[in-house]
Amino acid sequence: MPIIEVSKLAKDFNAGRAVLRALADVSFSVEEGQFVTLVGPSGCGKSTLLQILAGLIAATSGQVLIEGKRISAPMPDKIGMVFQDPTLLPWKTALANVEFPLDLRGVDRTLRRSRCSALLELVGLSEFADDYPHELSGGMRQRVAIARGLAQDPRLILMDEPFAALDEQTRTRMGHDLLDIWQKTGKTVFFITHSLTEAIYLSDVVLVMSPRPGRIIETIAIDFPRPRELDMIGSEAFGRIRNRIWHLIAEAQV
Amino acid sequence: MMRLHIVKALVIVAVVLAMWEAIVRFGVASQIILAAPSDIALAAVKDGGVFLRAFATTMIEIGAAILVASTLGIVVGVVVGSSHMLAAATAPFLSSIFAIPLIVLYPLLMAWLGIGPLSKIVFGVLSGFFPIALNTIDGVRAIEQRYFVFARSIGATSLQTYARIVFPLALPAVVSGLRVGTGLVVIGVVVTEMLASLGGIGFLISYHRTLFDTGHVYFGMMLALTMAVAVNIGITWLDRRLALWRMLEQAEG
Repeated sequence: MPIIEVSKLAKDFNAGRAVLRALADVSFSVEEGQFVTLVGPSGCGKSTLLQILAGLIAATSGQVLIEGKRISAPMPDKIGMVFQDPTLLPWKTALANVEFPLDLRGVDRTLRRSRCSALLELVGLSEFADDYPHELSGGMRQRVAIARGLAQDPRLILMDEPFAALDEQTRTRMGHDLLDIWQKTGKTVFFITHSLTEAIYLSDVVLVMSPRPGRIIETIAIDFPRPRELDMIGSEAFGRIRNRIWHLIAEAQV
Repeated sequence: MMRLHIVKALVIVAVVLAMWEAIVRFGVASQIILAAPSDIALAAVKDGGVFLRAFATTMIEIGAAILVASTLGIVVGVVVGSSHMLAAATAPFLSSIFAIPLIVLYPLLMAWLGIGPLSKIVFGVLSGFFPIALNTIDGVRAIEQRYFVFARSIGATSLQTYARIVFPLALPAVVSGLRVGTGLVVIGVVVTEMLASLGGIGFLISYHRTLFDTGHVYFGMMLALTMAVAVNIGITWLDRRLALWRMLEQAEG
């Protein structure tokens, strides 16, 4: 059974008297343990799709099954989320931020402390557990957000352009480390980006979306061996896939 | 070193007091306009007990009014600030009430509630409520949408969202509302005591003024100042506890 199953999904927004169709007939599925990335031009409805998957907003028609169950509200124990902005609570330390979702659920203090310390170690921030967000760099804050997304031990992580605000070097490094985390935890990752390089480098499967109204116009399996090396980005095979996706998006835009 | 500073300060204070005393004693300024330090000290010694009781009365009124005004102001502020519609409907109304001199309502309050402490407390609440509520509304409205999305994504209940995320995020704005609001509470309570009442520092100031007991009036004024300073110290302490976090807010942009 796929962990995400989306069929014939459509989403309309009311913009005054007009109706804006954001998503039209979106169908795809994601297998457990996969790293799947959604790419597409800005404004194509990527984030809308992600919010529907998360149960944050309702679809106009069609359905989304997460672990075989229809989603209608957020399911924090099944789905962890990481946003473009880390959205940390500024008055809490890194560790307390990771613990926050468990704290709200009333998880015992010692249990959540040991679990969350382990998560901070996983994202490489053990030494910064007692630092406040303003003492951390942008990349570190996003690592805290990733650890927090894992806190409730969901099987699925949804990531909405998590590295878009970072400088290129940090971004590359974060992608590399994310793959490491993904391999260690065995989670399923559904990732949104507008960077084709990032998408190909990270993913098992890249879903290409058309401009609004968004549809999945191509599903591309990425067969490069793992663990992946950064050198691979310069290879000819990598460039071919990149060009192919680029053309798909450019043609759809006309 | 330290001791020398203290000695110097004491000398300066002594000189100022002596000059002040001399100005009054040699008739440069009338004793009705300016009380000599010795008059004030005498008032304190003679009627210290009365003033102490009045001080307690006024402090209780101020404390009660601050408690109610802050609770109401913050709760109303969070609720109104969280709703687009409520904020659009009530904010102009609230700010125009804030702009009128509330003291014009006091005769009504007196008629309804009498001239005892209750009318002072209610007037104090009225004075403090609006700036606290308005600032809280602004603070809540300034919170970015992403925090609400985050709250829902981790399954926070609405009570948890408001208590654990929204309120702390709005706190810096709430504290600046408290600074203005509590100051207005002190003013409101003391002024209404001066207008008509049975006790309190404002009452004593007003009473002794009619008797031309300038020493007593000055002593009362000093006590009223002490209250204002005490309330301000409380708010500054609260503010300081939040300083770290305001710093990081700037860091986050």
